[in-house]
Amino acid sequence: MKPLKGCDEGLEENLKTFLNLDYPSYEILFSVASFEDPAYPVAKKLIENNPKLGARLIVDPVNLGPNPKVNNMVRAYELASNDLVLISDSNVRVKRDYLKRMARYMRNKKVGMVTAVISGAHEKGLGGKLEAIFLNTFYARWMKLLFFVGRPCVVGKSMLFRKTTAQRFGGINVLARYLAEDYMAGEAVRRLGLHVVLAEEPITQCIGRLGLKEFWQRHIRWGRIRKSQAYLAFLVEPILGSVFSSIVGAIFCYLLFRTNPLNLFFLQMVIWFLLETPNLIKSGSGVSVSVFGLWILRELLALPLWINIALGNTVQWRGKELQLEVGGLLANEKSKSENSSDGVSIPVFH
Amino acid sequence: MMLADFHVHSNFSDGKMTIPDVIDMYGKRGFGAIAITDHVGESRTVIGKAAGHLGLCLTQATFPLYLEILKSEAERAWDMYRMVVIPGVELSKNSISNHRSAHILALGINEFISADGDVADLARDIREAGCVSIAAHPVDSGKLEKQTYHLWNRREELAQAFDAWEVASGDRLFPEVLNSSLPKIASSDLHIARQMTSWKTVLECERHPEAVLDAIKKQEVGFRFYRDTHHDTSNSIINSDFRSLVELGHYRPASGDLGQSVAQ
Repeated sequence: MKPLKGCDEGLEENLKTFLNLDYPSYEILFSVASFEDPAYPVAKKLIENNPKLGARLIVDPVNLGPNPKVNNMVRAYELASNDLVLISDSNVRVKRDYLKRMARYMRNKKVGMVTAVISGAHEKGLGGKLEAIFLNTFYARWMKLLFFVGRPCVVGKSMLFRKTTAQRFGGINVLARYLAEDYMAGEAVRRLGLHVVLAEEPITQCIGRLGLKEFWQRHIRWGRIRKSQAYLAFLVEPILGSVFSSIVGAIFCYLLFRTNPLNLFFLQMVIWFLLETPNLIKSGSGVSVSVFGLWILRELLALPLWINIALGNTVQWRGKELQLEVGGLLANEKSKSENSSDGVSIPVFH
Repeated sequence: MMLADFHVHSNFSDGKMTIPDVIDMYGKRGFGAIAITDHVGESRTVIGKAAGHLGLCLTQATFPLYLEILKSEAERAWDMYRMVVIPGVELSKNSISNHRSAHILALGINEFISADGDVADLARDIREAGCVSIAAHPVDSGKLEKQTYHLWNRREELAQAFDAWEVASGDRLFPEVLNSSLPKIASSDLHIARQMTSWKTVLECERHPEAVLDAIKKQEVGFRFYRDTHHDTSNSIINSDFRSLVELGHYRPASGDLGQSVAQ
């Protein structure tokens, strides 16, 4: 299932990677919220150019809650004819064996969901480069840590599950009330006693052009959603980050051994960077002086970013300022959580 | 006659088992009805907020998933075991003082009920939502855990506010409640599998949620101590009904030998 919104840089190329996957039998369901969406002609053209695929484009949004992505793909989900469903965002590119690798984990009946680490690529602009470094270091590190401690964090860029499993927690409809539907889907699967698996190989997110301001705002929003979902993990983020721990280490060593705190700070930062290199190499960023410089900049921005995130509970969402509550619910969503209703729309299938 | 347990926790709060595992455990032992009652903490207190962040209680965010899973698992429980599963919550008002702490069970819920406000208002809200309200472990539970005396301290004022008061919780019988004229119920307050050995309620009614809740309201209930032998359900039920307990009057059994003592 490919829920689409807007025409991201490289959208057509991204979608094309899903057309010829090495998998015995699968169907592709594109969904957009309106005919005016710039993604509509792109998906339509792909379907017309590849008639043998039997892919479909669904324009039939519903209004089940504040999450536009879920609203966009509910009808497509209902139409999906297979039990095994893969939801994948429009800005990811995959290799031919992607689906096969992901589906392999589902052979184990105790596995309820499979997700993947995202690696950032095709980045442009300073914000884009920082985003790629963020995904390929901090984000990858935390994803693996959370899985290691048994509190998996599923990402909607790539989530594979069974419809029959989702049915047990109310299907994807129930996820429309959350801004982070992917995280809550993983939570539901975990509470059912099923495993959430992190696929070994990362998939590529096509970042495109991003300015520094966009990077900052994007991470404020993402961080505040993260804070509302997993408050305790958010609290310890700086402690487990390079800058904070290096400052603390430098101060302690100065007090105990009178070592030069500045030298020790940089030494620790270099050690941190060396520890990040496996993730950087695996994601394709590689290791170079420029990558090191970007990494330092991203790490230095992390603490002020964290403070900014900590100081507020609002996010900018589709031009509106929304108040977040514990668990990723919107403040005004609490009162109507049991009273959601479908929007009126005319289904169009291609 | 059917065995029932109306106070059971899952991993949606501080229980260790998943809802499917809880249902299979009770279903395989031949129970006729259970209520899964995970904690709902207060949203405005430090303790309540901390419990929410630690995942030790339901929040408005996790509640919809909880209810959906309960609904689908209730269907499975009926198909597989002919067991009624009633969705519930335990409204948990926890304070540093045991005398200001109170836990209230709401059985038959369809929507989120907040634990904020005075206990009398909460009990009224529960009934207005068409649910059954139960005062949970209102006296010393005998366990190394937070005690909740607030409801018992106000028992005269709140006597009519609840459909039942727990006369036993886990393997502990509460003589104070037993000797009172308050409506009663017995349950396990199960958090882990080995707490299955505990007091249970017995009912004689149709296996239907409304009939079960009605039996509690009308007090058409009895109580038995259930000693879990894991697989052999027939040997695991050890005596006795409510009347014989009443006859024991001030009897205060030692933990662990309840079933045998009552039988004698």
